[in-house]
Amino acid sequence: MAKQTFSVGQVLTAAQMTSLQETAMGGGAASAKTASYTLVAADAGTTISMTSTSATTITVNTGLFAAGDTVFIQNLGSANCTITAGTATVNTASSLALAQHESGTLYFTSAGASTFYKSAGAVASSGGITLLSTTTLSGSSTTISSISQSYKNLYGIVYGLSYGTSNNEFVMLPNNDASSAFFNGVGASASSTVAAFGVNAQSIWLTGNPTNSLRTSTENAWTFEIQNYTAGSLIPKTFNVNGKFRDSGNTFEARQFSQGGIIGVGAITSLVFKTLSGYTLNSGTVLLYGVN
Amino acid sequence: MDKPMIRIHDLATDKVIDREMTDEEFEAFEAEQAKEAERKAEAEAKAAEKQALLDRLGITEREARLLLS
Repeated sequence: MAKQTFSVGQVLTAAQMTSLQETAMGGGAASAKTASYTLVAADAGTTISMTSTSATTITVNTGLFAAGDTVFIQNLGSANCTITAGTATVNTASSLALAQHESGTLYFTSAGASTFYKSAGAVASSGGITLLSTTTLSGSSTTISSISQSYKNLYGIVYGLSYGTSNNEFVMLPNNDASSAFFNGVGASASSTVAAFGVNAQSIWLTGNPTNSLRTSTENAWTFEIQNYTAGSLIPKTFNVNGKFRDSGNTFEARQFSQGGIIGVGAITSLVFKTLSGYTLNSGTVLLYGVN
Repeated sequence: MDKPMIRIHDLATDKVIDREMTDEEFEAFEAEQAKEAERKAEAEAKAAEKQALLDRLGITEREARLLLS
């Protein structure tokens, strides 16, 4: 039952009492949504139930709720539902993304600030893959920070990259650690003019020396995996990178891969994407997944 | 002079922040750029040397690879 304002002398009906009891017991009817939704004041004290096969958002705006109000949100759909801060602040100690059958409580500490408490038991102990984030590349570097440590491996897809100024290596740097980190392994390229992915370097290269690469092609795309990413610096982590980079000279796609080990990096909590010369990233998207 | 912009996507809050580099970040950025410029210059010099050798021999890179295979 939505939050009510009672007046002196008001007579409660049996239906109201039943609904209040259900809400007090953590149940009650849910407000079903099939597409992205922006919370309204009347949602205070209710359950929002998302059912969608496409990714959706629940947007939280300021000035609608009072301190102490709660909204329970559950995702029954097969695609992720992400709690999104609109004009209000949404804090959390975990992820704001709800995979199918995950849920959480949004608790307002003021009209403009809330905390999202994700329900426990959401992370599959094995065999699960969860979309952690969708990040648009921008600036001279883009950092994905506060990566959840609840998974075994990280899996990522980078696509649509273009950057300015001139050709340069596009790299990924765990924990922004270019001083103690070291990445070694093997790399190869199917192109005679676009070099193999860099290895034996202080960052993971997603492109080799791109002398002949078409840096403005939005067809450029890579996948990467980092295994055992929560391990300490003395425990080996490994990486795989596969991808393609449009070759401007031969107008075909240069296919490249590299595999190797990561040395000297502690538990990975952030990933920085940039070119070695810090050229402006004009476009591109990173999808980051946690894998168990 | 304006410092370069960077983007930070904090997954704990799902907030995306676009901001200028701090002084410390900019200092590290400039040091990295200097190192990268040095690496690029070395690579270009090596490529020029290689091309000069190919020109002296009067063969293409592909023909040189064929010879060495």
